Amino acid sequence: MSAMSGIGAASATGGTDGLALATRGLLKSYGSRRALNGLDLSVPSGVVYGFLGPNGAGKTTTMRVLTGLIHADGGTVEMLGRPFKRGDRRRLFEVGALVEAPTFYPYLSARANLRELAASGAPVSSKRVEELLDLVGLCDRANDKVQGYSMGMKQRLGIAAALLSDPKLLMLDEPANGLDPAGIVAMRDTLRALAAQGKTVFVSSHLLAEIQVMADVVGIIAAGKLVREGPLKELLSTQGVIKVRVRPNLVDAAIATLVPLAPAERLTETDRDEGWISVRLTTDRAEDVNQTLAGAGIYASGLESGTDLEMLFLELTGGQGPTGGEGAFVGLGALNSGAPAGKGTAE
Amino acid sequence: MRLFFSGFRKLRRRPATFVTFGLLVGLLVLIVIAVGATANNTTNGDANGRAAARDLLTFPGAYEILLSFIIGLGGLFAMIYGAAIAGSEWSWGTLKSAVTRGESRVRYMLLTFASIGLMIAIGIVLAFAVAVVAGVIGANLAGFSTSGLSDTSTLGGLPEHLLKGWIAVLEEASLGFAIATLARSQLAGIGAGIAFYFGESFASIFLPNVVKYMPFSVANAAVSTGSANVGGGGATVASLPADQALLLVVVWLIGSLLVASLFTDRAEITG
Repeated sequence: MSAMSGIGAASATGGTDGLALATRGLLKSYGSRRALNGLDLSVPSGVVYGFLGPNGAGKTTTMRVLTGLIHADGGTVEMLGRPFKRGDRRRLFEVGALVEAPTFYPYLSARANLRELAASGAPVSSKRVEELLDLVGLCDRANDKVQGYSMGMKQRLGIAAALLSDPKLLMLDEPANGLDPAGIVAMRDTLRALAAQGKTVFVSSHLLAEIQVMADVVGIIAAGKLVREGPLKELLSTQGVIKVRVRPNLVDAAIATLVPLAPAERLTETDRDEGWISVRLTTDRAEDVNQTLAGAGIYASGLESGTDLEMLFLELTGGQGPTGGEGAFVGLGALNSGAPAGKGTAE
Repeated sequence: MRLFFSGFRKLRRRPATFVTFGLLVGLLVLIVIAVGATANNTTNGDANGRAAARDLLTFPGAYEILLSFIIGLGGLFAMIYGAAIAGSEWSWGTLKSAVTRGESRVRYMLLTFASIGLMIAIGIVLAFAVAVVAGVIGANLAGFSTSGLSDTSTLGGLPEHLLKGWIAVLEEASLGFAIATLARSQLAGIGAGIAFYFGESFASIFLPNVVKYMPFSVANAAVSTGSANVGGGGATVASLPADQALLLVVVWLIGSLLVASLFTDRAEITG
């Protein structure tokens, strides 16, 4: 926890002591499009760090820079306490990574793929290959050709490949992709166990619920810049959501009643037919919400409170969609009317 | 060394290895046996055909012709093979996996090519052995003598011819390797390589004095004993002396590997 509490100070001063990974002023452009715009990340040692951002925010570009696949136009990277520059490939001997989709020789088996991959980079024992096949639950299919694998099995093998050299720092890009629920739980447990051993796990994802249950620290980026970083609990402590259910015909009256407690922009009818309203207040205000409604003669038939990373994410990223390059969704209304699309439309 | 042997193990199990070798040997055996089987079915106008069959199937001269056939057709196949191996490293993303493990990009590519070189050497020797067996069968079918099989002076010169042939084929493989690396794709690399092969042949009609320095022409000239040679695509072109051609083969080989290495080292690996 001490490493986590030091994160704010490290970011503010630019210091990188006690950090497993730090970037300062990272810049990267693809042609005229700026993918990273002065990114400052501070990843403490021994935590699961959730790296969040909307599509096109620069998550994968960051992962590519951190694994030496591409080179930044500016800024610095410090990895495991030492600078990581172009040509410092040996620093990656202590790092495991799964960037984008897992990649293998389709005509080789899982076991052969891991063995041949182990021939590159840091030396790995053949015993380690067997351990990892067991860890990711692929022992039974280890001699089957990878071309016959499902996406989830390839993902499991990709995670095994990232763990080959028993890395101190593990970087995973959307590791839950294609995994079944049991696989997601197993992966989460594995990553938590690695962090408990003192290793640092850097997970890029857009699955907020997954990050919420797995990460100790999160960093949220938008348009290539860090917009918030810190221990998840601290961030969420200011980001409560209280959900209250009233009779559907009383939804409007209930919202009007709650305005003194929360500004209108923090009040949302989430399901009018069922009578659900969301109030963005810290969770300790649930009692006030109930009391206020009751005082107005509106009785809640349901009340839930909790913290919500999604709300924080949308607030910090402005609910923005892609910043270009990865496609965009447009509002249905815009499609029907031909009017300009609102949030979520590519710029 | 572990990366080199890993590269070789990967090639040993790769379908492209068997397909390429199978096509080369299959075509070779088919042609040689067919020539032997039909050599006696000549009519009055086919005296030249029978003479050609006799040249192909009479040892020790057959050694040279069979080796030329392997080097000629094998060069095209080696170019395609080199392109397939290099291109797949990009298409399948396996280069990316090695780079994220801290492997040197240049070392990885050069050792991958070195394993291709070993595989090609084995392929040439095996193909030559099969060709000789097919030649003997063809000669028997045609009723030609095989007494020249054990000609010591020819057999003594074979290792040198095989070595030169290997270097020539390796140069053609390196060309495909470099093209596919630049294209970052198997299919694009193979397509561009084949276009280059036939383009060189086509250009020899208009620019024979330029084409004789081009990679496929110098590869053929390096293993040739005559003054004219079969260039890319099968066209006959004026060729360089064998020693000079061999030097140029080495230059093309090093140049191709240099281009592939530099490109890989500088490339942004995405996708």
